[in-house]
Amino acid sequence: MEEYHSGDEVAFNPDEASNAVKECIEGVIGGVDYSQNKVNQWTATIVEHSLTQLVKQGKPFKYIVNCAVMQKSGAGLHTANSCYWDTTTDGSCTVRWENRTMYCVVSVFAVAITL
Amino acid sequence: MEDYQTGEETAFVVDEVSTIVKEAVEGAIGENSYQQSRVKQWTNNVVEQCLSQLNKLGKPFKYIVTCIIMQKNGAGLQTACSCFWDNTTDGSCTVRWENKSMYCIVSVFGLAI
Repeated sequence: MEEYHSGDEVAFNPDEASNAVKECIEGVIGGVDYSQNKVNQWTATIVEHSLTQLVKQGKPFKYIVNCAVMQKSGAGLHTANSCYWDTTTDGSCTVRWENRTMYCVVSVFAVAITL
Repeated sequence: MEDYQTGEETAFVVDEVSTIVKEAVEGAIGENSYQQSRVKQWTNNVVEQCLSQLNKLGKPFKYIVTCIIMQKNGAGLQTACSCFWDNTTDGSCTVRWENKSMYCIVSVFGLAI
């Protein structure tokens, strides 16, 4: 594994991750309505594209990307997460997006790799 | 960091984690009906309970626990996740639970230190 000498490169940047994720969501479901037979494909594409963009940033992290897409029909939805990690190096960011017919919530968790 | 000599203790065991999660969910929301005013407390309880039980296992892992509770109302919900990690040491487990008025989906991710 390469050694990372600069301290700046090894912190998780939630803004950068958040932007990468927003672009992925827009790219996949930007202008479309909720469709039961396509939603499976959408969530898979969103997580894969987001992960690819994050890995391209080249930082020494393991990533977990989680995506939930829910139809707007008046139902209540609540999500929570809890993490046991190193708070100095690890981090997460959550992006909430919606259009007329659905909600999309994407969470990214980044866990530093100790070299 | 300590050195872990035994290979068996350092693997992510899906069944063990799954049991912990089911107990946590049953304990937090087992008999209840969906209530908007309480759902926030329930999701927090589920994730906290899971995390504290996982820590008690004493394995060299960092954990991420996520919980989704959704009212049964006919809406469609789809979730997916993708992970970039070390396949030999890291793992995840997802538990889906439901009762008459709500669905609960809990995912646990374990990343080896």
